[in-house]
Amino acid sequence: MYSAEISRANPTSFVFLLDQSASMQDSIGGGEGQRKCDVVADALNRLLSELTIKCAKEEGVRDYFYVSVIGYGGSNVGPALAGSLGGRYLVPLSEIAASPARLETRAKKIPDGAGGLVEQEIKFPVWVDPVASGGTPMSGALTRAQSVISGWLTEHPGCFPPVVLNLTDGESNDGDPTGPAEALRQLASADGPTLVFNLHVSSDNSQPISFPDSDAGLPNQYARLLFNMSSTLPDHMRAYAQQQQIAVSGETRGFVFNADMTSIVQFLDIGTRASDLR
Amino acid sequence: MSAQTTTFCVRTFWVPKRGSSRQEYEDATWVGPDGNGNGEIQHQSLTAAVADGASESLLAGRWARRLVEVFGKAGSATRTRTGFIAAYQEAVSSWDQEVLEYTMEREERGASIQWYEEPGLAKGAYATILAVKFSDGREGRPPNWKAVGLGDSCLFQVRDESLYASFPMDDAASFSYQPPLLASRGTDVETLRRHIRTKANDWERGDSFYLVTDALAAWFLKINEIEGRPWEPLRDMDTHDAKLDFAGWVDEQRDLGQMHNDDTTLIRIDMY
Repeated sequence: MYSAEISRANPTSFVFLLDQSASMQDSIGGGEGQRKCDVVADALNRLLSELTIKCAKEEGVRDYFYVSVIGYGGSNVGPALAGSLGGRYLVPLSEIAASPARLETRAKKIPDGAGGLVEQEIKFPVWVDPVASGGTPMSGALTRAQSVISGWLTEHPGCFPPVVLNLTDGESNDGDPTGPAEALRQLASADGPTLVFNLHVSSDNSQPISFPDSDAGLPNQYARLLFNMSSTLPDHMRAYAQQQQIAVSGETRGFVFNADMTSIVQFLDIGTRASDLR
Repeated sequence: MSAQTTTFCVRTFWVPKRGSSRQEYEDATWVGPDGNGNGEIQHQSLTAAVADGASESLLAGRWARRLVEVFGKAGSATRTRTGFIAAYQEAVSSWDQEVLEYTMEREERGASIQWYEEPGLAKGAYATILAVKFSDGREGRPPNWKAVGLGDSCLFQVRDESLYASFPMDDAASFSYQPPLLASRGTDVETLRRHIRTKANDWERGDSFYLVTDALAAWFLKINEIEGRPWEPLRDMDTHDAKLDFAGWVDEQRDLGQMHNDDTTLIRIDMY
């Protein structure tokens, strides 16, 4: 399981579920810091940019991956890519590369070669804008992901299993998401079941709990619910997490609770790690 | 033996990974005296090199081709670590020009560099290298070969129906997705010295050498470890005994799950 090569003839898909509820306006880690919706949108844009760069070859960007971003907030559950890709559920990476909603210029600090840092302007493509409004229809989003992935698996029965990454700060208010998450995890390719990973973004200053292997130390019922909705990490992701100095075991789940900015980036990096691009 | 002229009988085979076109092949080979050595070559010495461009970098095929050319032509590259480093630095010194030419080619055909290519071009390309120089037995010395390598491209020497020498890898289990690589933008000398491997050995008439990139190297060692004779199908390749051509044979091994789907390259050198 989880050993299929990922190639243009046998691509896989990433489905990002993006919580766009009103509480995403609150600051990450409490206080007066950046809004959670801004931090999550930035991290997702950066991840899409890195994926694109990684798959760029001389003849263009190779479609190793198809990407879906589904936003959920208030009464809305639907595709959340901005610009000309708006309204689409699954987009090949070459089209993601060709059609960011806009290219922003941002300042990045890089070493100046003399022990200091100097600001350099870099291009920052944006596909996802921050949105924060209404309640948290997480069950609806998981159910929508099911229909996207069912269609994908019909067309790609031998693919590396799709990965669903749910980025949220709140409790589902359209019913218990356990059932829809379980149904998602039962959708399988010949190479194994769909992977479902969950990230909880924190409004307070608590220490993140990253990639736990049991629910014993989790602080509340809600954390345990998200833990139990999450898949165990396949071998290559576990090995990669270990390289990032994260303690792992055979039971480690793709789950982060009370995530801060660093652990959001780490969650996306580990959860989209591919071992065998061809 | 020193009175006779050595004949090196050379054949090169390659096939891109399944799903890729021939233009997307990113291994490279070089066989002396001019880089395109093929068939029967009568000479006092012969240099050969093979390189494997890393797929997750831009212009990896160009970098692999640049490396084999520099290592093939540099007389001292295969002798010492210092010679290796000098050859590598020569390849690095011409990389900016290579990228500039590529950028201009792209502009000329109205396909200028895109935002998602800029970081990859700035970061550079990566590849393994293996180079070997065979010398005959003149001046009272026995026939010998000297090889240098960095990464998991391999040389196998077969004598009397057994594996006589294996370089630099000798264990099928030690292949990984992250071998040491040579970077086109430079690597510090200490890191380089830590990863460079060298080996010298003798050879005799009747020996066969196989220079291969990692997918075939891992296959070769795996078959050898289970007491198979991996050189047999490679020795027969391009002869009346061959059941399939190289591409067909590699395809069959991939289908059987015996060989990783990767660009696959073989330089076979038989000594007469």
